Amino acid sequence: MFLLDVKNLTLEIETTNGWVKALDKVNISLKRGEISALVGESGSGKSLIVRTIVGALPERWKITADRMTWKGQDLLSMSEKARRKLTRDEMSVFFQNAPDAFDPTATLGEQLRESVPDKMLDKGFFWQRKQQRDALIIKYLHKVGIKNHRQCMQAYPHQVADDVCQKVMLASALVSKPELLIADDPTMGMEITNKVQILRLLTRLNQTQNLSILFISHDLLAIGNMATDMTVLYCGQTVESGKMAQLRNKPLHPYTQALLNSAPSFRKDLPPKAPLSSLSGTIPTLQHLPIGCRLGPRCPRAQKECVKTPSPKKLQNRSYSCHFPLNRSIE
Amino acid sequence: MIAYLLRRLNLFVVTIFVVTLATFALNYLFPGDTLENLSGISSHQTAEYNQIVQYHGFDHNIVYQYGMYLQHLWKGDWGISSSSGNDIVEEIKLVLPATLELSVYAMVLSLFIGIPFGFWAGLRHRRPIDLGILSASVLGYSIPVFWLALLLILFFALQLGWLPMSGRISLLYDIPHYSGFILIDILKSDIPNKQDALSNAIRHMILPTLSIALVTATIVIRITRRSVADVMQSDYIRAALARGLTRPQVFWRHGLRNTLLPILPQLVLQFTTLLTNAMIVEVIFSWPGIGNWLMQAVYVQDFPAIRGGVLAVSIVVIIFTLLMDIVLRVINPLKNRDIHGTI
Ligand SMILES: Nc1ncnc2c1ncn2[C@@H]1O[C@H](COP(=O)(O)OP(=O)(O)OP(=O)(O)O)[C@@H](O)[C@H]1O
Ligand code: SF4
Ligand SMILES: [Mg+2]
Repeated sequence: MFLLDVKNLTLEIETTNGWVKALDKVNISLKRGEISALVGESGSGKSLIVRTIVGALPERWKITADRMTWKGQDLLSMSEKARRKLTRDEMSVFFQNAPDAFDPTATLGEQLRESVPDKMLDKGFFWQRKQQRDALIIKYLHKVGIKNHRQCMQAYPHQVADDVCQKVMLASALVSKPELLIADDPTMGMEITNKVQILRLLTRLNQTQNLSILFISHDLLAIGNMATDMTVLYCGQTVESGKMAQLRNKPLHPYTQALLNSAPSFRKDLPPKAPLSSLSGTIPTLQHLPIGCRLGPRCPRAQKECVKTPSPKKLQNRSYSCHFPLNRSIE
Repeated sequence: MIAYLLRRLNLFVVTIFVVTLATFALNYLFPGDTLENLSGISSHQTAEYNQIVQYHGFDHNIVYQYGMYLQHLWKGDWGISSSSGNDIVEEIKLVLPATLELSVYAMVLSLFIGIPFGFWAGLRHRRPIDLGILSASVLGYSIPVFWLALLLILFFALQLGWLPMSGRISLLYDIPHYSGFILIDILKSDIPNKQDALSNAIRHMILPTLSIALVTATIVIRITRRSVADVMQSDYIRAALARGLTRPQVFWRHGLRNTLLPILPQLVLQFTTLLTNAMIVEVIFSWPGIGNWLMQAVYVQDFPAIRGGVLAVSIVVIIFTLLMDIVLRVINPLKNRDIHGTI
């Protein structure tokens, strides 16, 4: 059974030019204990998916989905209270842009304490509970690589560097012992040693505590090493999803291929001094979305049929949305 | 912090200096003979006149005259009112507290009206209730304060007869002057019918306070609403919600402080506008404050009084802004934001 199962999720957001579908029939699912990667160019809507799942969107935006369930419970019809309880106890989010996700007028310690659910504490007087809270927090701060926990907890967000904010955010996400961690670019802009430490921590938690992770990153190499599954997103549409290894070896969708090719370290057969390949053009803005397959204008394989939106097709245990897929010979 | 205080003090001194310079320049800009305006003496040959010339330094150049002016100001000798013949400092001591009392109550009232409505609108951003409050506040803001005051008089004083339309307290009561704030003075005094005097004074206060407060409240509403709407859409509010805090928890722990901190300076600045409004409203309600007093001085061309009044009001505004600046800085946890680097 799926831990998280999202089918045909559509998100309409209000822009200056009226309502546009920022997410169009997105499918994403995750089993317990899996590390699933969500990849796509900047602006393809990865963070919007994260925000939709945890319910951190402006109320006016319209969400529709055939299915959006957490362990079989429907998230969309759930009461706000039940949903808060769920995001508090069972899933945690690491928001992209960690420094903005902290209240600038409260210390990091205060905000960390809020992340510790009451049920993790023994019953006791409030000062005992505060001590337990702090002990837990300090344990996790050490885990994410913050040694000077006292100074860090007393600091306001603007007083610490961005990567410290990111680590604190990760500690705050992990301290409630969630079943699912949704990590939106947790290593963005970090230097390599910090990055390795964080990724190693996540992998270890996945192996020892069966933590499921929805991992979003631009770092294909890290994803390739960690993730078992991958979902590729382009312009608010899921273009392909399936097992990491399959997608890597035989991508079906032209966009997946382009994405993989754009990461040189990912290609084993790259001859020395070969030109780097990339798709021409840039990702369209929400105001100027093409009709049909949104990759159309940039796609090397595009033909007349592509003005009709391709519907997702299943092939073994992977799915893709393209009229003219690559590598179909594997059938 | 010391450096900051010194900087503020420096600013204070400079501003006061500029204000004295401006009021000094007024002497020469008033129509008529400068010395005659200042002293009220027109015959040039008397011994008295020579004394005046010396006193104001008119036998020396203009820099010396300014020096004399500053010296007099410093000693508390602000001149004699040419209409009443009283010492101007004494007169200002009587009228200024009345204005301040009115302004302070109006300011407090406008915050009490404006902030809750601003929050209400901001939390319901772009819903009907928000648009309703916003329209009402734009409407209120467009009404000139003197017209609003007249409307209130027309309705509550003349039509319904609920409230008195002018003055500060009924002439029946004789309140000894103590602080100049009438409510305090009544409480301090030992007149026989204290309760009645108090309620009478409050009844006199309602309409002027209300007319000033309503205008300021409309601005307060809009400042607050904007800030609430911005803060509630920010990432950290969303993150706090995702951490599993309930909406009220998020609002009280993270929303409120972040909403108020950036707008406190703006709110405080409204006090100066409010003071101007108060001075206009005083004239309409015959409130014995400095606005009314200045108006009278203008009517009878009492130049020393105009000069003194302008100076007094300016000093009040400067001191108030400065004090608030310091207070706001002390309570703001982000005060060192620009000074310190990151760890
Ligand atoms: N609050 C908003 N209002 C309007 N448009 C928005 C808003 N937030 C995001 N968008 C738009 O939605 C699209 C997807 O944005 P999103 O942040 O999800 O991209 P992303 O895949 O996370 O990119 P990145 O890899 O840079 O984080 C972008 O075109 C962006 O302009
Ligand atoms: S549907 Fe057409 S345009 Fe879209 S990816 Fe496939 S071939 Fe390219
Ligand atoms: Mg993003």
